[in-house]
Amino acid sequence: MKRFSLILIIMTGMAFSYTTQAQTDISPERKRAIDSLAMEKIRDLGKYISIIGNKQTPFSEAKRVIDRTLELFVEEAQMGVSSLSREEVIYYAIREYLERLMLLNYDKVKIEWFNIQYISDLELQPDGRYVGVITIFQRFEGTSDDGLIYKDVTKKDITVYVERKQTQIGGKLIGFWDVLLGDIRVVETTK
Amino acid sequence: MIFAPAIFFLLVFIPCHAQSQTFGDFKYDETALYAETKQVNQFFRRFNGEEDKQGERLYEKDRDFRTYKLRKKYVPTLFNLESSILNDAGKENFSELVLDKDKPVFLDFHGGAWLCELNTLFIYEGREQELTLFLVLQEEVVGSKWVIDGVYFEPFYDLLKKPDNSNFNDSKFLHPLSHEVGFMNIFRVFNESDSLEYFGNKYFQPDYLSLFFYEIKKGRLEFKTVKDLKFHFFQIDGWYFELTYFNRAGYNSGWLISNLLEIDEKNRDILLNYIYHE
Repeated sequence: MKRFSLILIIMTGMAFSYTTQAQTDISPERKRAIDSLAMEKIRDLGKYISIIGNKQTPFSEAKRVIDRTLELFVEEAQMGVSSLSREEVIYYAIREYLERLMLLNYDKVKIEWFNIQYISDLELQPDGRYVGVITIFQRFEGTSDDGLIYKDVTKKDITVYVERKQTQIGGKLIGFWDVLLGDIRVVETTK
Repeated sequence: MIFAPAIFFLLVFIPCHAQSQTFGDFKYDETALYAETKQVNQFFRRFNGEEDKQGERLYEKDRDFRTYKLRKKYVPTLFNLESSILNDAGKENFSELVLDKDKPVFLDFHGGAWLCELNTLFIYEGREQELTLFLVLQEEVVGSKWVIDGVYFEPFYDLLKKPDNSNFNDSKFLHPLSHEVGFMNIFRVFNESDSLEYFGNKYFQPDYLSLFFYEIKKGRLEFKTVKDLKFHFFQIDGWYFELTYFNRAGYNSGWLISNLLEIDEKNRDILLNYIYHE
């Protein structure tokens, strides 16, 4: 019995080290594909924010888009916002942030992207998922019906979680990389 | 703005796709965004020569990966060029060491010997108070994580001092025959809370991190928010540098070396103690 347990431990250990090795091994080509997927999700986020913040969007539609937006995120993701005048971070749950945006009710919302972004390396975290941070720069312009314009340029550091998952297609197990967004740090820039 | 040779290198480096962008009536110069060292991760890449002219990640198989030529261009741009603390001689000696053609020195994210100093706000005794956390990256069986390595909180330090054992205290003690009276005299220890530490053994060192966890668990210390952060690097033999984020216009911005010191082993420990307020 003892002998059997030992063999089991060794086999488990081997399987574990294999998993660990496999997890730390993301080729540059794979990394580029994951980066594209993550950027696609971030672009979707930008698109949804424009819809939610726009006054022309009916309330029910905005609510539906908020739900769609939340699907991009892991649970309990937060938005941490600081400005040039206040370095302390103010935290908002993503839903709360989006609902506040909806209530701001700008007549027109324009979100412009800069061509510059920075995508970090992916680091393995203790739960076996990978984490990365993508930095983007955005210009926000909200025009209210009385013609007042609010605008800012912000740097957004967006957490990205990457996980290897499997799904069954036609009786076959197919592996795929799932990307979800996490906490976002928003910093007003001086540039 | 200071126009240093390092900036010139950076301007030469800026890719042609990073130019000014126009949003309606709003014109924006993207070159500054390109030049900014946007993440600590990018600081590592640029320092090590793992990013090409287009800002793309370089891998071992790539021709320019970690080349002297690439690093020679990047390293000078990674200093805060608007600082009077950083002197040219120090920067030159440091750069000479890390860019040595035969024995180049690189930074390693998982190499240890660097830490984060995070300034936060907590609510304690009814008011907001600053509290500094020291975090280090800890390797795990799978992956890695940041862990709290120390804390500096003034109210803890004011109340629970590290006793100065360099001077023998000849009035605060329990006499050696106290046991014969069943330590009935121990009440004197607790009469004066200010001198309590003198009654501890000579190796006593207050553990502020335990105190920090205890006060949070008791509900007396409540997290409010994070303020700012910087990093202390001891990874390069004989040198210490500090990394700070500069949110400013221009090409010399983002995560930059804000302090640089040549230090020996002894001064390294002194500096570490200073950082940790020990």
